[in-house]
Amino acid sequence: MLKKINLKNKTALVTGAGKGLGKACAIALAEAGAKVIILSRTKSDLIKVNKIIKKTKGSSKSFVCDVTNFDDLKKVLRKINRLDILVNNAGNNRPQHFTKVSQENMEYLTNLNMKAAFNVAQLCSQKMVKSKKRKKIGGSIIHMSSQLGRVGCEGRNVYNMNKFGIEGLARGMACELAPYNIRVNTVCPTFVETPMVKKFFKNKKFKNKMLKNIPLGRAAKESDVATAVAFLAADTSEMITGTSLLVDGGWTAQ
Amino acid sequence: MGIFLKDINLKGKTALITGATKGLGRGAAQAIAEAGGDIIAIGRNQVELDTLGKIVKKFKVKYTSFNCDVNNYQKIKNFISNLRRLDVLVNNAGTNIPESFLNVKNSSLETLLNVNTKAVFNIAQLCANQIIKLKRKQGSIINISSIFGLVAGKKRSVYSMTKFSVEGLTKGMALDLAKYNIRVNSVCPNIVLTPRTKKYFADKNYNKYVKENTPINKVVTVSDVATSVVFLASEASSMITGTSLVIDGGWTAR
Repeated sequence: MLKKINLKNKTALVTGAGKGLGKACAIALAEAGAKVIILSRTKSDLIKVNKIIKKTKGSSKSFVCDVTNFDDLKKVLRKINRLDILVNNAGNNRPQHFTKVSQENMEYLTNLNMKAAFNVAQLCSQKMVKSKKRKKIGGSIIHMSSQLGRVGCEGRNVYNMNKFGIEGLARGMACELAPYNIRVNTVCPTFVETPMVKKFFKNKKFKNKMLKNIPLGRAAKESDVATAVAFLAADTSEMITGTSLLVDGGWTAQ
Repeated sequence: MGIFLKDINLKGKTALITGATKGLGRGAAQAIAEAGGDIIAIGRNQVELDTLGKIVKKFKVKYTSFNCDVNNYQKIKNFISNLRRLDVLVNNAGTNIPESFLNVKNSSLETLLNVNTKAVFNIAQLCANQIIKLKRKQGSIINISSIFGLVAGKKRSVYSMTKFSVEGLTKGMALDLAKYNIRVNSVCPNIVLTPRTKKYFADKNYNKYVKENTPINKVVTVSDVATSVVFLASEASSMITGTSLVIDGGWTAR
């Protein structure tokens, strides 16, 4: 009756895997038995993640890649034969008040959070549908969204725009990839204790205000999100597609 | 427990399941037992309660059953307020009487409101109070909702009304219970093949309707739902509250 999270014989690709949530997801998927392919712009980060995965007796392969560089991305993906799972994670945030958002930041965030996310998802899907056994073994794509893909927040207008976009993309993809038994979902975390959020939380006033908005009264841990991703990657969720798993401590329930 | 992958287990936890003799309730009870949780089953059929006991005890967990109608408030209250262990509630008992809106009988309306809304509220309140009284410091309540808690279906106006109400209740409870570290979520399955829905599936047109509306070309199984229930019951989802886990093969994504 109870299905277990087991990713043996599965190959998973994780973008933005050098740090934060991507790193946590890559390690969690390896812990669940998947062969993991990790992408990041920073070679030294990839080496560290590879080492951790090796220590847990997992298997990983890494590629230095800037996902916003389409040609680079295509080249890297050409080297990969097989793919069952994608964790479309690479993303960033540059909070600014709406009236002050610079063109440069809007371009940068939208190119990374939306355009690159779309390109990665499309290229990986094309690879996934080619497998003859796909219908039988299924596939799973998990977009790293955010609670800010569901509700607004001050200083987060571009990030809101990007993550709401990802929520839409996930639903569209879910409809089109269902005939191949490829599931597409998002994970929507609240603030997670990652290097990116730690930077924001240096502002104590901001930190307290944000934590007050989380009914459970605490930020999420990287393991909370990585476990949710593993749940969506595995057959534990074989009938879950086109939806969002909120890991937000109740933020959006208010 | 890995570095980032949390274990899904319920060892040392006690779960109360309503409507435990059939369908989703029975599946949830079995899956919880498989995950190591002790079971308190509430149902209206002693023979079936005893059968469930035999299944559950195979997993070497404690089993208590209580033969009672969920609408018998006094009897349920006496039972729950005397429990010595309680960590998890699977608020499952529910029913449906499909009728087109114009022809809904007053007795059908009464029945559905009593079982799907009022009893769900009462049992949730009694269990939440008991978990707090027992000073468990954490808990998880899972309300069994439906895709019809998110969208409507033909001849499902009353059912939709009751399940939308469960969605609202879930969010409200999540906010009020967060300070006790009791998480509250719902699961929203598509139409699952159970003893209750068997008669619906016997109708060719209904079968076609479900098939055409489910992008992933499969029927949701009891095991799919039970696995999600265990995930939400366990510490693996410790930052997930006030949300709905949609298990619908993409039904509501369109």
